[in-house]
Amino acid sequence: MNGIEMLWDNLDVFAAGLQNTLILFGVSSACSFMLACVIAFLLEGQDNLFRRLVRWALDLMRMLPFLIFLYLLYYGLPNLGISLDVWSAGFIALITYHGAYFAEILRAARTALPAGQAEAAYAHGFVNSNMYWRILLPQMVMRSGPLFGNQLVCLLKDTAFLSIITLMDLTAAASAVQAKYFVPLPPFIFVIALYWSITLLVEALLRRLGRRAQKRGLVHE
Amino acid sequence: MNKSAPVVEIRDLHKHFAGIEVLRGINLKVERGQTVSILGSSGSGKSTMLRCINWLEVPDTGEIYIGGDRMGVKSGGGKAMSNRELAAMRARTAMVFQSFNLWPHLTVLQNVTEAPIHVMGVSRKEANDQAVALLEKVGLSHKHDAYPWSLSGGQRQRVAIARALAMNPQVILFDEPTSALDPELVGEVLAVMRSLAEDGFTMVIVTHEMEFARAVSNEVVFIEKGQIIERAAPEKFFTNSDSERVRQFLGRYRTTTA
Amino acid sequence: MQSSDWITLVYAAWTTLWVSGISIVLGIILGLVVAMLRAAKIPVLSQALAVYVSLIRATPMVTLVLFLFVIAPSIGWEVDARVVAIAAMTLNTTAFNAEIWRSALTSFSREQLEAAKAAGMTTGLTLRRIMLPQMLTTSLPGLVNEMSLLVKSSPAIAMIGIVDLTRVTNRIAAVTYDPLPPILAAGLLYIVIIGGLVRFQRIADSRAKRLAM
Repeated sequence: MNGIEMLWDNLDVFAAGLQNTLILFGVSSACSFMLACVIAFLLEGQDNLFRRLVRWALDLMRMLPFLIFLYLLYYGLPNLGISLDVWSAGFIALITYHGAYFAEILRAARTALPAGQAEAAYAHGFVNSNMYWRILLPQMVMRSGPLFGNQLVCLLKDTAFLSIITLMDLTAAASAVQAKYFVPLPPFIFVIALYWSITLLVEALLRRLGRRAQKRGLVHE
Repeated sequence: MNKSAPVVEIRDLHKHFAGIEVLRGINLKVERGQTVSILGSSGSGKSTMLRCINWLEVPDTGEIYIGGDRMGVKSGGGKAMSNRELAAMRARTAMVFQSFNLWPHLTVLQNVTEAPIHVMGVSRKEANDQAVALLEKVGLSHKHDAYPWSLSGGQRQRVAIARALAMNPQVILFDEPTSALDPELVGEVLAVMRSLAEDGFTMVIVTHEMEFARAVSNEVVFIEKGQIIERAAPEKFFTNSDSERVRQFLGRYRTTTA
Repeated sequence: MQSSDWITLVYAAWTTLWVSGISIVLGIILGLVVAMLRAAKIPVLSQALAVYVSLIRATPMVTLVLFLFVIAPSIGWEVDARVVAIAAMTLNTTAFNAEIWRSALTSFSREQLEAAKAAGMTTGLTLRRIMLPQMLTTSLPGLVNEMSLLVKSSPAIAMIGIVDLTRVTNRIAAVTYDPLPPILAAGLLYIVIIGGLVRFQRIADSRAKRLAM
């Protein structure tokens, strides 16, 4: 059986895998980004114990491998009475883990903002949270463009780890089709090409957004 | 190498960048022991001419000779020199740049010994001894183990001069050596250059420092729009030039410094 | 969890370290080779390498490891999981390092190169004495960052049977029926390893800043 036939006959498996990967990627990207904005907001303001703890937790998360964190949620929590199904564990893991990474990117962008920004906003009578969401955050996001792109690609690649806890994503699809015929090349090449395409699309999309931001003078090269 | 040939000879040099002709037929000879200053306004082509001498810029047409030997082109063949041959020819010259261009990962001493050891094959001991002597000559004996980032601009340029001298070059090419320096640091570099001229080194200096050019040069050359407008001894050039354009140029200079 | 389990964990951590370590060293060297080949602009090779870099940077480690593991027999490879693991991780980290080196190559100070040329240095000499020492210092923070990313994706090798720090948690849990302690312990050990790399990166960063004058 040649490669193309193999792919064609099992299109449903690949389609299911691709769909699951995209759902995981899309939902987790959006949610982790929003989580990061909230975390960055919580960090805004004077240094206190809470904020120090949050920063410490962010640092910790960035020193942990994703799979171990996933294991912790999926295999470890039942010990404490919390039993998560595969999808829940997957989403929570992706969202919190990458939320921490996005938050770190925003934190770095915050420290790089000229102090005048916040001062100007305060001078105009903005209340703390309003100032943050309307003035500071958009700039922090614009400045970090390429870093977000990189992190999104990392998120996409981490979805593959979910195949290990038996979620039928794109990698699991390749594995399954391979196991059926013991001809590994076509299914894996197909799946790798799909990951590559998604990455190229995401990068192209971000470049587009970046150019629009530049046009409006929000970002200066 | 021909002992009686001029150290540097430029014949009918032409060069253009992006459609604009920057050098339009330069002819120049520099004899041994001479100090030649090159003056001109920005964009006149003077730096380009200097950089053609050691083939950092490649001429379109014309010939360059260093010590009587053809630069950049194989003798007798007309084919371009290989990188190795170019490197060998360049080792006969030395250049001091406007932005010093020291190698930041090496100490002051190492900057001066690097080329002698690795290009000329001098032993480490010999290179070190020479470097120590040269650094003393430029007034930086106490800075052997310092790194470039800890030095002032004037100190960096003096290290660059020591580095150039370490190659025992036939000619030293200076490309606006003081233009990037704070005014109070210019003097220390000019003092070193003056002592080199007095020692009899062959030097070609592209500069804006008029008083220095007047005091130290054997010959002053004025370039405008890619051509040599005047070549004269300093006294003639600065007080009684034949060229209207030169007098205009000097007039502007005088009013800004009067 | 008993002390013997801790010993098992430490052995597994060692496995993670040496498998990652070999891939890291190979990956730094090969990454430099790839970057230089690309800079040399050799007709077909440079484009092929560009495709390789882009493709591998977009491929999850799990997928890559599984892929190499299942095609190994068809290439006539001995299916030694450790060789496959090192090959997969090296292939992956080389692509990332190639980008880091490439950035250092293309942004290298032209002025220093001119000074080297003017002093009569050949290209080879300039590369060896002037470019590489500085490129190593300026690239080090990025390379060390990539090292910690590699260690963080190393759990993928547990999937092909290597008893690394991740797989060992399964082993211990299979006996004790208590997965939480070994997972926490493994997490702790990973944090120690990666924390060490982060420390290293900060030192590399300050040294790189000094070179920038």
